[in-house]
Amino acid sequence: MDKRLLPLLPLVAKPARYTNQEVNAQHKNWAEIDVKIALAFPDIYDVGMAHLGYKILYAVINGRKDALAERVYAPWTDMQALMEEQEIPLTALESGQELTSFDLVGFTLQHELSYTNILKMLDLARIPRRSRERSGMQPLIMAGGPSAFNVEPLADFLDFVVLGEGEEIIHEIIDLVKQGKAEGASRDDLLEQLAQVEGIYVPKFYKPVYDQDGRFLSLEPLRPDIPREITKRVIKDFNSLPYPEEFVVPYVEVVHDRVMAEIMRGCTRGCRFCQAGIIYRPVREREPEVLKEQIARLVESTGYEVISLSSLSSGDYGRIGPLVRELIEQYQPCGISVSLPSLRLDSFGVELAQDIQKARKTGLTFAPEAGTQRLRDVINKNVSDQDLMDAVQGAFSAGWSRIKLYFMIGLPTETEEDLQGIVDLAHKVLAWGREFRTSHRRPEVSISVASFVPKPHTPFQWMAQDTMETLRAKQNYLKERLRHPGIHFSYPRVEESFLEAVFARGDRRLAAVIERAADLGCQFDSWTDRFRFDLWMEAFSDLGIDPKFYANRERDLFEPLPWSHLSPGIDADFLRREWELAQEGTTTPDCRWDVCSRCGVCPGLRTANSLVRGERSE
Amino acid sequence: MNNVIRFQFTKGEEVRYLSHLDLLRTMERAGRRAGLPIAFSQGFTARPLMSFSFPLPVGVLSEAEYADFTFAAELGPEEFVQRYNEHLPPGLQIVYAARLPEKTESLQSWINAASWRVSLPGTSPEQVEERWRQLQAVDSFVVNRETKKGSREVDIRPFVYDIFQVESYQGGTVFSCRCGLGTESNLRMEELGELLGFSHLEATVTRTGQFKKVGNSYFPPLGNRG
Repeated sequence: MDKRLLPLLPLVAKPARYTNQEVNAQHKNWAEIDVKIALAFPDIYDVGMAHLGYKILYAVINGRKDALAERVYAPWTDMQALMEEQEIPLTALESGQELTSFDLVGFTLQHELSYTNILKMLDLARIPRRSRERSGMQPLIMAGGPSAFNVEPLADFLDFVVLGEGEEIIHEIIDLVKQGKAEGASRDDLLEQLAQVEGIYVPKFYKPVYDQDGRFLSLEPLRPDIPREITKRVIKDFNSLPYPEEFVVPYVEVVHDRVMAEIMRGCTRGCRFCQAGIIYRPVREREPEVLKEQIARLVESTGYEVISLSSLSSGDYGRIGPLVRELIEQYQPCGISVSLPSLRLDSFGVELAQDIQKARKTGLTFAPEAGTQRLRDVINKNVSDQDLMDAVQGAFSAGWSRIKLYFMIGLPTETEEDLQGIVDLAHKVLAWGREFRTSHRRPEVSISVASFVPKPHTPFQWMAQDTMETLRAKQNYLKERLRHPGIHFSYPRVEESFLEAVFARGDRRLAAVIERAADLGCQFDSWTDRFRFDLWMEAFSDLGIDPKFYANRERDLFEPLPWSHLSPGIDADFLRREWELAQEGTTTPDCRWDVCSRCGVCPGLRTANSLVRGERSE
Repeated sequence: MNNVIRFQFTKGEEVRYLSHLDLLRTMERAGRRAGLPIAFSQGFTARPLMSFSFPLPVGVLSEAEYADFTFAAELGPEEFVQRYNEHLPPGLQIVYAARLPEKTESLQSWINAASWRVSLPGTSPEQVEERWRQLQAVDSFVVNRETKKGSREVDIRPFVYDIFQVESYQGGTVFSCRCGLGTESNLRMEELGELLGFSHLEATVTRTGQFKKVGNSYFPPLGNRG
């Protein structure tokens, strides 16, 4: 760590966030390394330490003799104030080196409300915010992660962007940077070479064109040899991919502080609202034997007490039942428990949960997403009323007393009936609880209702988000009808969903808004108590930009979209087809177990689903 | 055969800012990495049988922390120290361990006093000694103590037993003191600061011992236990 921070530590909350020295942190000899990479996470340590992608990259990069990766997190506001007051710039945890000493500074883009944190971190690091303001020896600022698939609002701040999976491309990046440094290549020469790598987008080599009404028309390459479309990188052989043998074990309590085994990548359930279900295709399951070995190594090197089987929908992993049972048998006697991040909403999901939570049956969480079968068909959430009933009744009979259900409002074609469906379901679950419970505790149901944010590269990318007024009215409708003993109703503020919708489908003109908001003091926008909607609105109005143009405007199905050059390999026709099927309420089956839905990923990326042997555990 | 090992360990600069809960987690994980056969409690939520002496305030160093671990399998103290030390992070180190006789009082019921070494920048030994002389002349020093239930008045003067080895050090002063610790006569760091007129945030404080105080005798939880 940076020794200049030492005298500040007694003055801030959770000082161990800043002290490094954790077990398995990598300290390399700075002077002997060719390419130095800072993996910057645009939130505090406690949140960023949970990020699996960075754990993987940290291991891959530090596995090379000629490169190093170090961690950087946003200091919390108390530490920021002290650093600014004492003129201490942002430094990396391991070496305490300033970010300006690195060759590359990477940011992961997990969600839209982290964007001001990136600017704040650049400010703290004394790195100019805009790509064109940076020169010579200053580090190249790169970014990746799910929001890279519409990185346009951040385009002006980034030197290059990586689309898709990082395990292979990071080596190509390191090699190019190493060679560029050795040859004394200029910044632009290096960026030009990076732009030739499949999956790399260099925003400054393109220029957006808008029509007279301010609609986006196209993104024009400014150099002849620059690709018009950038397609994501995808790992084909998931089983032979290296996986970290060690995780850094934090001292302070952080989110998801556990062994994470990535049992599967991608999901083809095809929920039409879900961006992850599109951008991580195809489905690749890891062999159980490979997983068990990876888990054993991590348990040994970390001493963690929980093993989490991570993926977008772990209940769908082909051998999930046997894997969970074997892991419990092996690790439970050592006081190590097994956990699943999400449960499938059917009786199978509950059986699995029973294997896992033998002891403390506190709460179970399911995500029906919509209140009626009709609307669930529209969004292609292939869960039936029967599944729901089986799961909930099964959970109460097995001893659970608290059920939490996740829903969304503002989905396409939604009517009052669908809202009423959420209300009816809440009451039904409570009634099932009274009928089927075996626990002495009174049954409780928590209803959590998010406002839907249409995301790029999904079948709902053209639709208008409900206005904030409409969403509030829907929240009130639910609030009035869910006021009942035993029912807890919660909902995030619509303002947050609105801003997410603006930036999710934004274009390059929004960079100025992000910059203005950061100047006005916006940061940690995803922290409810830090979120300053008033300042955001001030930023929009200062720049004369109407946020509703981005959030609440329906796009024409053939309108050029600012993110269409950033390709996850999906056919635009597939998305249009899915949009139309959604209007009819026709579902599309999962291509893992049914016919190909012709999304375009497998032929386009020369890849395929790869599933573990053995029938699906149903 | 009783399978409880009591040990003394240090908390150094590298782990200075760990909270008590952070420390427990860290010690448990290091135990698992070392493959120590720590026993688990019975019942629904099985917890490892590890019990610690009174929490050290965040930011305070220690040469004398104590814990009792119960083992499910035979493990000698020497092997324990060697294996555990290999897997503890820098700053945490076992200095001594011994098998505990049956029916030994728990650490938290045994310990009622601690010794501390306090290093103060910008203060002279004379100032500290003068302050202590003044304090010795009074028999009460009442402060407001904030608790979860609100604020109440506590007389902390009886909780400071003695101050010794007051010396100048790097332009400041270092001194040692013995104070009450635990449930009945506990003295907080900020209260010690208030008593002696320093800011506990600027001081470097090290816990140098924990004891059972009987009259004017101090017995540590390991070794000579009176």
